[in-house]
Amino acid sequence: MNSWKYEPVADLDKSLADRLRSFPREPDLTVYAARSFAALVIRSWLRIYHRLEIIGAENLPAEGSFVLVANHSSHLDTLCLLSALPLRKLHRAFPAAAQDYFFVNIPRLAIAAVVVNALPFGRQAHIRQSLGLCRHLLANPGNILILFPEGTRTATGEIGTFKPGIGHLVAGTTIPVVPCHLNGAYAAWPKGSAIPKPAKIRLRIGKPMNFESITADRDGLGQICTQLRDAVVALGRQ
Amino acid sequence: MTPQAALHDDIFRTYLYIVLAILGVAGVVLSVLRFGLKKEIRSVWLTYRSWLMMAPLIFGSIFAGRIVVIVFFCVLAGLAFKEFARATGLYRDWWTTGAVYLGIIAVGITCLMRQPQGEESGAGWYNLFIVLPIFAVALIFLIPIVRNEVKGQLQTVALAIVGFIYIGWMFGHLAFLANSRYAYGYLLYVLFATEINDVAAFTFGKLFGKRKFRSNISPKKTWAGSLGALGVSMALPWLLHFSFPHFGAVQLILAGLIVGLGGQLGDLAISVIKRDIGIKDMGANIPGHGGILDRIDSLIYVAPLFFHMANYFYPMR
Repeated sequence: MNSWKYEPVADLDKSLADRLRSFPREPDLTVYAARSFAALVIRSWLRIYHRLEIIGAENLPAEGSFVLVANHSSHLDTLCLLSALPLRKLHRAFPAAAQDYFFVNIPRLAIAAVVVNALPFGRQAHIRQSLGLCRHLLANPGNILILFPEGTRTATGEIGTFKPGIGHLVAGTTIPVVPCHLNGAYAAWPKGSAIPKPAKIRLRIGKPMNFESITADRDGLGQICTQLRDAVVALGRQ
Repeated sequence: MTPQAALHDDIFRTYLYIVLAILGVAGVVLSVLRFGLKKEIRSVWLTYRSWLMMAPLIFGSIFAGRIVVIVFFCVLAGLAFKEFARATGLYRDWWTTGAVYLGIIAVGITCLMRQPQGEESGAGWYNLFIVLPIFAVALIFLIPIVRNEVKGQLQTVALAIVGFIYIGWMFGHLAFLANSRYAYGYLLYVLFATEINDVAAFTFGKLFGKRKFRSNISPKKTWAGSLGALGVSMALPWLLHFSFPHFGAVQLILAGLIVGLGGQLGDLAISVIKRDIGIKDMGANIPGHGGILDRIDSLIYVAPLFFHMANYFYPMR
């Protein structure tokens, strides 16, 4: 008689916190169920409390990997961008989240790993490694990377300069980058405020951009950042 | 079972005092050993610290009442099954694991619901609870049939059935105990005596253990540990007679045997699974103990055996 073949998961000896911290994550039935349920609650909340309006959802590529890029003014931003995606793509969307902020204690870890499906991004150290993770994700078809190139939430409501990381990821590639603009999120939940206010939020999704012809040198990266920032700002003026 | 009832219940209060006293004394002794005499007892210290988390959780849920107890034990069963599924690899089959989760939810619902028609005294839908494995097995076998799949399905189905019956349903008897009119005494006795049995086996084994007990299954178990634990467990029902004042000598002896033998068999049964897979612990969720399944392994055996013994002599509800 043949003996059975067991295939224990690789992270069997890791504690819950370590499992939540690790990336990429193994697909998990209970996590997917919890995430889908949370997404339904969050979508209803945003639609009702913040009267979220999404303009230009048809600009999102139907298949293949792509990057969503937006201005960052509040914790609501990620949730709004996720809400623009169809539910079946939820588990393939990875918002890059600050490792030093979201991947520290269990409650934040649970939100980052289970609800948001965040990619731990080292802002100060390990930037190269984090960009490697992003690149790896984008190499697999069907993944969506959500990035805030400002690197942090705005303190004033103005759109800051874009950091060159995004350029490293997409320069010379065919990966589409979709610029988005969020309006109202700053008024609803600015940095430092405890509870979100019921302000209206409008999300505009622009046409995908492509940086295949731009090389990943200093000039090229600057060019990508400027172009993307201009696109986001232009969406805000519409 | 309500918070008011728990406050005024002598059995609940007595167990609370006993556990507080034991944890207090153990804390002092371990602190002296660790910080006073600088002994290397890190692993025991970790185990103790985890007990400081688990004891309030258990007492808190029993204090909060019947519904919380039932939900608590079903969630525990779900988490333990998840560890089992992760360890065996079953967890990659979402349909089958989903079916087992459904079964565990059904255990909870039958514990919570009253029988919709006909005569049955007290809370809980006992008749359905007892026949749940039939429906679960039927549901689990339905999955390869609906999906029209063959390869490796016997293993998947078998693992799922073991997962449901052993971890979901047998352990789920603890949840149903909350419907008993002797809920406080039965639940607290089973939980307390089983854990004491585990601790006694560990302690006797450390102190006197030489000859291996089941060398292939669990290299650390010794005859001294097992016999010592059995002795302690046989004495416990007499010391804790206040938990079930209606028990006579026969029931007390049976209660001792069930905990003393069942507790260790439960431990060994999970060890058989672990050694076959080739892992040390089922998970790493409880520091110093391993996974949740490593902690509740003895209860899986003890809970249903004690339940049906007690129910045979004195109808529970």
